[in-house]
Amino acid sequence: MVRCKPQSPKPLSRIQRYGLAVLSVSVALGGALVLERFHFRDVEVPLFLFAVAVAAWYGGTEDAVLALILSCISFDYFFVEPLHTLDISLSDLPYYIVFASFASLVTWFSALRRRVEGELRQARDDLEIEVAERTQQANLLNLTHDTIFVRDMSDVITYWNRGAQELYGWTAEEAIGKRAHELLQSVFPASIEEIHAELLHSGRWDGELKKTRADGTRVVVASRWSLRRDELGRPAAILETNNDITERKRREQEIRILNEELRKRTAELEAINKELEAFAYSVSHDLRAPLRHMAGFTELLKKNTASLLNERSQRYVMMILESAQRMGNLIDDLLAFSRIGRAETHKTMVSLEQLVEEALTEVRQDTEGRHIDWRVGGLPACYGDRSMLRLALVNLISNAVKFTRTRSQAEIEIGCMNQQQDQVVVFIRDNGVGFDMKYVSKLFGVFQRLHPPEAFEGTGIGLATVQRIAQRHGGKAWAEGLVGKGATFYFSLSKSPGV
Amino acid sequence: MSALGRILLVEDDPKDVELTITTLEEYNLANEVVVTRDGEEALDYLYRRGTFTTRSNGNPAVLLLDLKLPKVDGLEVLQQIKSDEKLRMIPVVVLTSSHEERDMVASYRLGVNAYVVKPVDFYEFVNAIRELGVFWAIINEPPPGSIKAK
Repeated sequence: MVRCKPQSPKPLSRIQRYGLAVLSVSVALGGALVLERFHFRDVEVPLFLFAVAVAAWYGGTEDAVLALILSCISFDYFFVEPLHTLDISLSDLPYYIVFASFASLVTWFSALRRRVEGELRQARDDLEIEVAERTQQANLLNLTHDTIFVRDMSDVITYWNRGAQELYGWTAEEAIGKRAHELLQSVFPASIEEIHAELLHSGRWDGELKKTRADGTRVVVASRWSLRRDELGRPAAILETNNDITERKRREQEIRILNEELRKRTAELEAINKELEAFAYSVSHDLRAPLRHMAGFTELLKKNTASLLNERSQRYVMMILESAQRMGNLIDDLLAFSRIGRAETHKTMVSLEQLVEEALTEVRQDTEGRHIDWRVGGLPACYGDRSMLRLALVNLISNAVKFTRTRSQAEIEIGCMNQQQDQVVVFIRDNGVGFDMKYVSKLFGVFQRLHPPEAFEGTGIGLATVQRIAQRHGGKAWAEGLVGKGATFYFSLSKSPGV
Repeated sequence: MSALGRILLVEDDPKDVELTITTLEEYNLANEVVVTRDGEEALDYLYRRGTFTTRSNGNPAVLLLDLKLPKVDGLEVLQQIKSDEKLRMIPVVVLTSSHEERDMVASYRLGVNAYVVKPVDFYEFVNAIRELGVFWAIINEPPPGSIKAK
């Protein structure tokens, strides 16, 4: 805002001032002489006083003194008997003194006025500078995206920046002069007395407030208050900065709801897991007993009837026994498999090379009389459950041994692929009977088998176990194969300990 | 051969009872076997209550205890025995179908003397029963006050 300010008169130079004194006395003298000619009496003294006053007013004290001296000389010379001399009679002296005193008084008043005028001008200039500075600061506050407003101690808004207008929808003209908490319908997290107590104590307060916009919508803001005190230290105003956190609060609420749902789902899963555990327990206990009876009494039958039964009947008895045995194995494998899914993983840094070594020692016990060319490549250490990873390796290696049984010279290669950044991929390759890629999706299913039991024994749980172990390590298991040409089995593990 | 200790078999499944008795008979260990069919009956025997009020005094040399029993289950029987001053010295062998670790841990925590999982395979089952019978009824010296065949 630009205002036109009145120009203060330029101070006169010394010559101009003295000129003014001479001029004003001359004009007064001329005027007095002319008026005397027309028989006006006793006008010269007021005219000279007027001249001194003009000189004092416009020229200053020095001027006034010069005008006074000139006035006295002119008065003596032109108006006091004897005329046209500078002689002064003693009886006229009091007259001069009164004149000079009166002129001095006028001069003194004039000087006083000038000084007061100067001070006023200075004060006005200072004020203008401060107004300019404040205006500039206010304009800067308008540039920020934050919502800033100032209110006095009776909550009346005195400043309202553009950010406030944008957030709340009230213009500065509408907001200034209103009570802030009424205008914005503020909802406080604590009583206003408590908040003010803290504000007065520490000079600051911050917290979350609910406010209402001009259009009636609610908004949640992170609010920071600063107390401004005047020169005497009395609370003068509160500067309040608001940031709109409505969206953040909404997201937090969403996250809370999602977490709650997650908690419920987890509880449900835990309940299901408990049921599963009870089921496994029941399988472990209740299915075994009849199986044991079948096997036991069949054995007793076999023993007691050995001499009575013909060969075919004896074979039937054998088949019952084998089936009981097989069912026992299936139950054991199924329980072991379910335990892999249920058990907690105990993850540490594990050397895969050492695990392969251990698995080979275990598997080699069953490879007597076989010619197997083992090729074991370098393997890294990784983060995982030692016993689970060992089981996965034993399953895959013994599979390779099993399905190369028909080869006179078996080749089994164990190694690691190094393409992935975040995963370790281990492979076991053999030159065994292989499989048809058409059935690759069935390989890792529970009790899925691609070969008849008389060709290759097994319950069909080994690869399902490998898959589950890989999954519990943030990876997966997969395979490639060709009938009669061998197979390659892969499993991946996450490198990061978090999975 | 020293005197045969009395075996108290606590087993609800009649087929298991028969298989066990048959096996023990085969090795001449069955003479001193008493069978109870649930936990309550087993405790009745030990405390000479109910149908056992008239039995002669003395504790069995060993108790073969199934865990899954009607009325009072095996773990409760075990707890009762091990917390009773007069019974706590009786050797107790849990003979169960359960592979579950928590059963095993609970049994040992209560002070069981041995924990045997019944094998599915008949020969292994026979071996286990025979060895149990021989060890506990013949080799092991039972605590004073146990019943032995003269």
